[in-house]
Amino acid sequence: MEQLATPLLNGVIYGLLLFMVSAGLTLIFGMMGILNFAHASFYMLGAYFAYALQDVFGFWPAIIVSPLLVGVVGILVERYILRRVHRFGHAHELLITFGLSFIIVELVKLFFGNYPVNYRVPASLDFAAFTMGSLDYPAYRLFMGIVAIGMFVAIYLLLSRTRVGIVVRSAIHRPKMAEALGHNVPRVFMGVFGVGAAMAGLAGAVAGAFYTTSPNMALELGVLVFVVVVIGGLGSLEGAMLASLLIGIVTSVAVGIDASLADFMALFGAGDLAREIGGILVLKVSSLAASLPFALMLLVLLVRPSGLMGDKE
Amino acid sequence: MKVRMVLLAAGVCVLAAAPLLLSDGLVNAAISMLIAALFACAYNLLCGQAGMLSFGHSAYFGVGAFATIHAMNAVDGAGLLPTPLMPLAGALGGLLFGFAAGWFSTQRTGAYFAMITLAIAELLHAIAPQLKGVFGGEAGISSMRMPAWGWDFGSTTEVYYLTLAWVLASLAGLYLLTRTPLGRLALGIRENSHRLRFLGYEVHRVSVLIFALSGMFSGIAGSLQVLSNESANYVMFDTSLSAAVVLNTYIGGVHAFLGPALGAALVTFFGYAVSDLTQSWLLYQGVLFVLVIMFMPTGLAGLLDLACGSARRYGARAVAPAAGLYVLAGGAYAAALVFLTELLQRLFSQDYRSLAQAAGAGHWPPVRMFGHDWTPLGTWTWVAPAALIVAGWLCWRAATAVVRRLQEAAPAMPAGAAGMASPGRTA
Amino acid sequence: MKSPAVLKMALLPGLMFASALATAAPVKIALVETLSGPQAATGLTYRAAVRYAVERINADGGWHGEPLELLEYDNQGGPAGAADKLKAAISDGAQIVVQGASSAIGGQITEDVRKWDLRNPGRELIYLNVGAEAQALTGDKCQFYHFRVAGNAPMRVNALVAGMKQDQALGSKVYAINQNYSWGQDMEQAIVDGAAAGGYTVVEKTLHDVGKIQDFSPYVNKIAASHADTVMTGNWGSDLLLLMKAAKTAGLKARFGTVYLDQPGNIANAGDVALGNYVAQTFNPEAAGEAGAAFMQDYRAKTGHEPTFIEPQTVFGMLLVGEALRQVPAGDGKLDVRKLALALEQASIETPMGKLSMRAQDHQALLPLAVSVVSRDAKYKADGTDMGFKPVKRFTAEEAAVPAQASCRMQRPD
Repeated sequence: MEQLATPLLNGVIYGLLLFMVSAGLTLIFGMMGILNFAHASFYMLGAYFAYALQDVFGFWPAIIVSPLLVGVVGILVERYILRRVHRFGHAHELLITFGLSFIIVELVKLFFGNYPVNYRVPASLDFAAFTMGSLDYPAYRLFMGIVAIGMFVAIYLLLSRTRVGIVVRSAIHRPKMAEALGHNVPRVFMGVFGVGAAMAGLAGAVAGAFYTTSPNMALELGVLVFVVVVIGGLGSLEGAMLASLLIGIVTSVAVGIDASLADFMALFGAGDLAREIGGILVLKVSSLAASLPFALMLLVLLVRPSGLMGDKE
Repeated sequence: MKVRMVLLAAGVCVLAAAPLLLSDGLVNAAISMLIAALFACAYNLLCGQAGMLSFGHSAYFGVGAFATIHAMNAVDGAGLLPTPLMPLAGALGGLLFGFAAGWFSTQRTGAYFAMITLAIAELLHAIAPQLKGVFGGEAGISSMRMPAWGWDFGSTTEVYYLTLAWVLASLAGLYLLTRTPLGRLALGIRENSHRLRFLGYEVHRVSVLIFALSGMFSGIAGSLQVLSNESANYVMFDTSLSAAVVLNTYIGGVHAFLGPALGAALVTFFGYAVSDLTQSWLLYQGVLFVLVIMFMPTGLAGLLDLACGSARRYGARAVAPAAGLYVLAGGAYAAALVFLTELLQRLFSQDYRSLAQAAGAGHWPPVRMFGHDWTPLGTWTWVAPAALIVAGWLCWRAATAVVRRLQEAAPAMPAGAAGMASPGRTA
Repeated sequence: MKSPAVLKMALLPGLMFASALATAAPVKIALVETLSGPQAATGLTYRAAVRYAVERINADGGWHGEPLELLEYDNQGGPAGAADKLKAAISDGAQIVVQGASSAIGGQITEDVRKWDLRNPGRELIYLNVGAEAQALTGDKCQFYHFRVAGNAPMRVNALVAGMKQDQALGSKVYAINQNYSWGQDMEQAIVDGAAAGGYTVVEKTLHDVGKIQDFSPYVNKIAASHADTVMTGNWGSDLLLLMKAAKTAGLKARFGTVYLDQPGNIANAGDVALGNYVAQTFNPEAAGEAGAAFMQDYRAKTGHEPTFIEPQTVFGMLLVGEALRQVPAGDGKLDVRKLALALEQASIETPMGKLSMRAQDHQALLPLAVSVVSRDAKYKADGTDMGFKPVKRFTAEEAAVPAQASCRMQRPD
């Protein structure tokens, strides 16, 4: 049981990190129909801003100011770039976010260099929370999990219990009607985009210290975030949480499984046959750990394309 | 019509004469440009004509490439087909995989369709390195072109003519396809697939067919790449290649038939020429993409259309100064951007920072750029880009003033002239 | 296609060529490297080292008084781009191609060079491999015009094992974790093969996806469950950094034996995590003594930073080529690349670490290695931290060498 506990806990925390980044993406998609390729770049920007501010303000102010800065960047992007291309259609919006992701990565490389930077966990959080088996469990991981859960609760309450949230949700479902009722829908869009970007920035500020902060951060996380959003359902916050946890746990647990499809077939006596055929059948699940999310995504898209918790088309 | 045929013939002649005029390195660049152009046009069949935005088209390019490399290595290296017919192997591979993938993907539409195609490509990209027998691991599989039909295909020129022949034939095929009922049905799918279904057509079947044909031509492009490089590597399945073809297509313009070809050729050449000159060329490329998408939604083909349309309406002589001023403005802005980027890149580089540290506090060593030494705090270092930006802005204003004067002088606008005032059509 | 920074260097031989027909034609060296994109950091480091080396060779007289010309090409991070730029380099007249940042690209370049040389006798070129350490390049892909002046997996592992054993840090149980591609697989094979001589058992081996894993804690769990004393890995970049960070936060007691721990940024980023871990290096300034110190100073003066990671091996490899160039007669003014290859096969120079020479059998260089441990007592600090690499054991080229692979059947020109 203990063997399973650590991967499970790790998977949950990793899933929560994925949630922090994908929450913004799914909200933006649900509202504006834009698949924002630059979202993972906001994650990276959050980490880099926090690194730059850490020396000036210290760790705690840095992780508060950094998401705000990223939110401002998000608002500027929406107001001056996305709004312009909105009338040209979805493809153009998508492509512009793609071009933006390039620009952001290159700018980061310009100012901070190509190598990973020294953004580290502060001494106040750099201890072991408890031991599991023979290994320590770092407190910072729990911190990341707490921040993620806090973010989920805050956004959920904001959307469901406050007036602003009601306006936002109505703008998602019936933008024209909301506009007819007198709400400034473009401003709502801008706000949602900014908040989504700020959430990704917070994720970056918090996670960048634990994992590495390098110009390749956005690439490494980028596609996985899409997978989460698709599996969870485009536009659904609960779906994003569920899908992130699922992906986090699956990748974490899969690393420990050294069996392959051939071993499974051995249960039916076809083991040797499978091994002779070779190819995919003898690949170990552990080596494929990072590819499993894509297989899951394909499965979901074919069986239930609106995602686990999305609205049925 | 006649003008078009003459222009087309002239273009083909220029392409055919290229190896005689250009150095070997440029002929190679031309081969890459031709392959990219074919890939973009094949993609446009699906995206621009049938309206299905696919995000994983590199899969069909790659499958075609690997099919070809295996065909080349078959029969102990002698090859399954004579070298000039090798792209048929790529076509077959692309067609079959296109059928299979298309059958699944086209069951959904819109964003879900795009996601499925992305998932298929990513899955292939993830599994490929594990299947060493088929995809050769990260070193890929290599092969050699075999002599056939009297040529030995050892020189770049022969490879160029082979590529040119196949690209022209494929483009002709794609164009003829637009003239067939199937091609028209593709447009119907883009405009209103519901109505098409009501008219009695099997929309899913048509979509799969279009998808498969697009895959087939992508496979030909992949196989031409393999013939040129004599190797295939699973990095061809990377999302960056899928994204590149989408960008090329939109930059060229999805509504003109040769638009994607133009966009692909220019972007490939840009990468080829600029990547050796500066480290920050990806930044310039990104900025170019964003600007084109923001200000030229119909792409470069649309821009050409606009320029020709204006010239026809107002007369070339009237339009020329405006066009010239726009070009000057663009040049000035570009020069300012390049200057600032190169300056900042050098100032923030690790090496400069250690030099500055060594020189002592407050003392900034000069930066070497474009053959000159620039002091970071010197006046010229900041006046130059500022002056360029101001110059660009003035030229832009002058150009818009000229255009406005022309428009006021001839108020009646004939239909179809996509002017600056009206928004572009949706993609 | 010349970088603006070396325009002056190109101008001089150009003028000389134009003015006097009887003088030697400049020898053109083409660097086809990853200068942009995600892996640019490594490619740019190779470029810095090659520029320094070419300047030094030219300061020593170049080739019979004629300076070498360096042309730089960006292969955009992939084999297809590398193939394109190689053709551009050939068209610009390059005679030596230098590359090191990726074994995949190395594989592409060596094949393309082989095919070109086959098809164009009299216009051959040499591929100088300064960093692609996959076994295949001196194994079944070996060819007469490819020369590797970097190490390879068995060399690194043998040195690492011997060094750690001497420091009594090896233990008896080793866990092998590597990236799932040619280099990682070569490392895994080498670790398994070295078990008998090293006196350890490989308790488990793992291959993981390259550059895709953010969270290494599941792997750390596996390592802990296997009770390994040492973890041996050929990981580089974020794969190495994240693995070590995950190990430290989990409080894993095992020691790390690595190949690429000295990549710039690793020590700064890892912090105290790095202390007590081992690395097999091709150059260690403390181990190289006086000559090493002089080299460090000169390099720093010319480039602005100290040579680390792959820079020294690149410089020494280029100097080996410079030595071979000296052996080739000027002839009619144009460099006979075949003669250069024959000379390079037999060349050897003294480097601050010891003698560097080329093995004619498979064109793998015999180079000295050093095994170091990350410690605060090191004489030279890394990455601006208070830690550095303290040498534990030095190996001469003979001691570090591994026999040529049987799969290398080199076809020699006659």
